[in-house]
Amino acid sequence: MANGKIKADTLEHSTAGSLDTSYVVNGSAKAWLNLNGTGTIATRDSFNISSVTDTNTGKYAPVLTSAMGNTNYSLAGYNNKHSGESFYAGGGSGLGINAFVTTTASTYDLLSYSNAYVDSKYVYSQVFGDLA
Amino acid sequence: MTQTPEFQGTHLFDRLCWAKENLDGVQSDYRVVYEDSVDECAKILVPDPNWMACALQGGILPPVEVYHELAKDEAQPDFTKHTRGYLLHETQPIDAMTEEEAIEYLIKKDCPQAVWKTYNEGNRLKMVICKKEQLPKTREWRNAWKIDQDLIAA
Repeated sequence: MANGKIKADTLEHSTAGSLDTSYVVNGSAKAWLNLNGTGTIATRDSFNISSVTDTNTGKYAPVLTSAMGNTNYSLAGYNNKHSGESFYAGGGSGLGINAFVTTTASTYDLLSYSNAYVDSKYVYSQVFGDLA
Repeated sequence: MTQTPEFQGTHLFDRLCWAKENLDGVQSDYRVVYEDSVDECAKILVPDPNWMACALQGGILPPVEVYHELAKDEAQPDFTKHTRGYLLHETQPIDAMTEEEAIEYLIKKDCPQAVWKTYNEGNRLKMVICKKEQLPKTREWRNAWKIDQDLIAA
């Protein structure tokens, strides 16, 4: 970066051993999103996201700013299964990821207890993989 | 105002790291409503606050044409991975935009090209930019939302 750069292939601790910096580069999340999917949907906070499109009830499509290198990246996420506040036991679910994925875009499908699409108040997601 | 470092040649991801650390998010009131299929309800694009901060700051984001080039590569049947990702990082970043210019950029980046290139052709207007206050207050019948053509004509 313009304000300083350290180049190193290995980080070494005085007693705890060493670690290749490639672990850090490859293993870090490349994007994350905390979304309120109710009302006029709004991003609470995020990283490497340019927009989120509200495509239907319980369906949201975030787009990345810095594209992934290929479409074989990994998406993880979680949401409460309703528009309310709680996350009580069994009250959350993993994101359903729509099959149509590009290096910058994907669609999340959120389902309720009754397997109907539902707008969730809390939608969390992370992207792991290789950047372009 | 925080000065943007000289970022040409810096990986876009690193620029976003700098922006996250140095810029406050900007929640835009603008929304882009578009229809990309007659069989589906209207979609609503919401700008990301951290991205909007980068757009207003300037010197961080690549020209939108870079994304179009990558999209062309990705549309090839034999695409496996990007080989021209350097375009994101080595192209001269664009200057600061107004909020309205940023929305225009975002439309060209994140909306389907079939929508924004022909949004006012045909029988129906396919895309409108509005303020969030102009959207329905509740999400009732969300799967039936369409752009109100009469309202636009008025």
